[in-house]
Amino acid sequence: MASFIIRRLIALIPVMCIVLVIVFSLVRIIPGDPATTLLGPGATQDQIEALRAQLNLDQPVILQFYHYVLGLFVGDFGYSLKTGQPVATEILQRLPATIELSVLAVIVAVIVGIPIGVLSAVRPNSMFDHVTRLVSLIGVSMPAFLLALILQLIFATSLGWLPVSGRVSPYLPIEHVTGFVILDGLLTGNVQGALSAVQHLILPTAVLAAFLAATLGRFVRNTMMDVMGEDFIRTAKAKGLRNRQVVLNHGLRNSLLPAVTIIGLKFAEMLGGAILTETIFAWPGIGRYMFEAIKNRDYPVIQGTTLVFALLFVLTSIIVDVLYGILDPRIRRKMG
Amino acid sequence: MKIWNGIVVAAAVLPLLGSAAFAQADAKLKTLVVAVPSDPVALEPGTNKAEPIGSEIILNVFDTLVAWTAPDFKVLEGRLAKSWTVSDDGKVFDFRLREGVKFQDGTAFDAAAVKFSLERTKATNPYVKATFDLIKEITVVSPTELKITLSAAYPAFLSILAQPQAAIVSPAAVAKYGDKFASNPVGTGPFAFKSAQADTNVVLEANPNYFRGAPKLSQIIYRVIPDASTRRLELEGGGVDIVQQQGQLSAIAAQDIEALKANKDLKVLEASSQIIRQLEFNNSKTDGPFSNLKARQAIAHAIDYDGLLQGVFGGTAERVYGPLTSNSWAFNPKMKELAPKYDPELAKKLLAEAGIKPSSLNLKLYSFQGPLWGAVATFVQANLADIGINATIEQTEFPALRTLQTSGQFDVALDGRQPWYNDPDAHITIGYLSSLANTAMTFRMPQDKALDDLILKAQQTPDMEVRKQLYFTIQEEIAKRVPGAYLFSPKLIVFARANVEGLVVNSAPPLNEYWSVSKK
Repeated sequence: MASFIIRRLIALIPVMCIVLVIVFSLVRIIPGDPATTLLGPGATQDQIEALRAQLNLDQPVILQFYHYVLGLFVGDFGYSLKTGQPVATEILQRLPATIELSVLAVIVAVIVGIPIGVLSAVRPNSMFDHVTRLVSLIGVSMPAFLLALILQLIFATSLGWLPVSGRVSPYLPIEHVTGFVILDGLLTGNVQGALSAVQHLILPTAVLAAFLAATLGRFVRNTMMDVMGEDFIRTAKAKGLRNRQVVLNHGLRNSLLPAVTIIGLKFAEMLGGAILTETIFAWPGIGRYMFEAIKNRDYPVIQGTTLVFALLFVLTSIIVDVLYGILDPRIRRKMG
Repeated sequence: MKIWNGIVVAAAVLPLLGSAAFAQADAKLKTLVVAVPSDPVALEPGTNKAEPIGSEIILNVFDTLVAWTAPDFKVLEGRLAKSWTVSDDGKVFDFRLREGVKFQDGTAFDAAAVKFSLERTKATNPYVKATFDLIKEITVVSPTELKITLSAAYPAFLSILAQPQAAIVSPAAVAKYGDKFASNPVGTGPFAFKSAQADTNVVLEANPNYFRGAPKLSQIIYRVIPDASTRRLELEGGGVDIVQQQGQLSAIAAQDIEALKANKDLKVLEASSQIIRQLEFNNSKTDGPFSNLKARQAIAHAIDYDGLLQGVFGGTAERVYGPLTSNSWAFNPKMKELAPKYDPELAKKLLAEAGIKPSSLNLKLYSFQGPLWGAVATFVQANLADIGINATIEQTEFPALRTLQTSGQFDVALDGRQPWYNDPDAHITIGYLSSLANTAMTFRMPQDKALDDLILKAQQTPDMEVRKQLYFTIQEEIAKRVPGAYLFSPKLIVFARANVEGLVVNSAPPLNEYWSVSKK
């Protein structure tokens, strides 16, 4: 298993190199000059030229690339054109918020999606099945921004139960320890703050989890129904196993393998969804950071965040492969 | 059905969580929460590039020597300066400074601090290089007297001194924090900087020793909320007290503003701005349909200006008659008659006289993104269609449109000008001086010695009455050349909770001072 993981990690290097080249070229193909954007309206041409020179934008693209790659080796992602701060620092500041949100969303999606899929598959065409199929169809097809707005209107504006946006109440500031606010709140004894952070987390998590939960529910239902028709299920039933054991130990276990693939793939899509969700909920994560950077033509930030997203994606697929091994002894043996 | 039990329990717990919010009611009355779309950039005069959010925070943390007097912002008043005189040649400014003022770090404010601050901005801030380079010498006469000598007369200099880039910093704090001063700004202003968290908030605390009296609020929290509809929901729900309409590129649609006006918990403050939005021609182009004056006149007469103001803006914008807005002290009242009137028949006639067949024109009408610009572009497109011109709308991102403009690759574009200091110079010189034609933010005016000489003379004449007359002439001269069709001036709009009192909206540039604000 260890050698398998190491091999996969080595294979990561060429992938990341290709990502790097593509991103670097892409941001330079988009029309628009960062110096103009940065200085904003009212800047004179002299000011723009001076800034271009300061940012090395007057150098040939190849040279700009060379400087960038050289920097990456020492953990230097460059400096944000907008703030002048190191990109690596800015990403690290925002990463906890995104991890907090997306990991929680995956957990919620799994907890909600898989049982729904299983229950629907066990009782096909029941009332429960019809309702969950309809709800999950809506969940799959509804765009995140619409769902976000609807939830904000219901739970924040009308009922007043939850805050509209933000990560914690501005009146209950939480001291920075790890960057994960709920944890920091508890660590610093700010229970009110931690509670407020939990409240703030509910709506964005729901929006982000909805799509994954719905996809997962539909997917598990279908594979479960296939699996439940297999010979070994009939054998298990014939052995006199209780229905619960048949469903969970034999049926679900065999449906989980493809479900893990889906979770892995959709996790990446979810990170894309995080861009919108973070923007709508004023969530200070890297998705929104990237979105702002694209608007501002902040080249180093676009490159840095894309690399981080690519890295997260590749790492997820490695984790999925490892989970395969854990779930399926045949694959585990092949991994050696 | 255990799942349903779980959901019922969860639903019952939600309102309990909500009770945490009530504990903070007291703090809320003394705290003003302002929603802004993005983090402020460069929270100190030495690096500020007139970015609106950072500029506003600077003007609440720092003070300038002079400031515009509310509510019409046509007269300068002393702030850290008690009084001042200007020499006859317009080059020497003598200031008497206020005594007993202290920076938020406890050190004393004096003439040396002013000299230090202005020289520091001159050295470090490229944004104001063109104007600060005019400063030849700053002399500390005594701790309360200061003399600034310019290398050439520049009457708009006092206006520049009212800008955030010219705010006075604590020399002791600059020495202490060095490069990190922007993260720890210290001035003499009514609010002291407390903390900033990226993409989250900036917190300011009241300065109880402020020389004009302690502010009524105990803190201001700027909350960064990038999405416009979220900002609106937060305002309606009371999560924020103030939302500013950042009129530059993104704006709330007119119908939304109507809905907010109808809400009793909110109030909408409006003020005339000096922002101008126009349909502009590529005036440096020597070929193409609009190198012909009659063709430009035709377009200017084709647009239904009042229809645009009513139809698209519902009263949230005002008419612009020429290169200056009507609230400028240099506005020439004659422009109201000289401005082109909506007359499609005349437009058609002018096109015919120019020898242009409207159906042969296939215009690309460039515009910024966003629903508001889209609505304006569609309106103009319909007006052009009425005189037989087919125009395709190209809504382009801000940086991309700027690139097209500076490289001159367009015939007509919708664009805007927002002056960064309160003087006609900000509109006229940058917009129409032909030597600046290839820079950003200009009308790309062709070589024109007569007009250029007038502009430079108006920029440098110390006598304000003479200057005003010069700007009167300039406005008429520019109007004759029809460099564009001046469409509208958006009002500055601030949405506030009904219990917010004492807020004054500045006309140019849009910066609110919160010293006088309180909550009921």
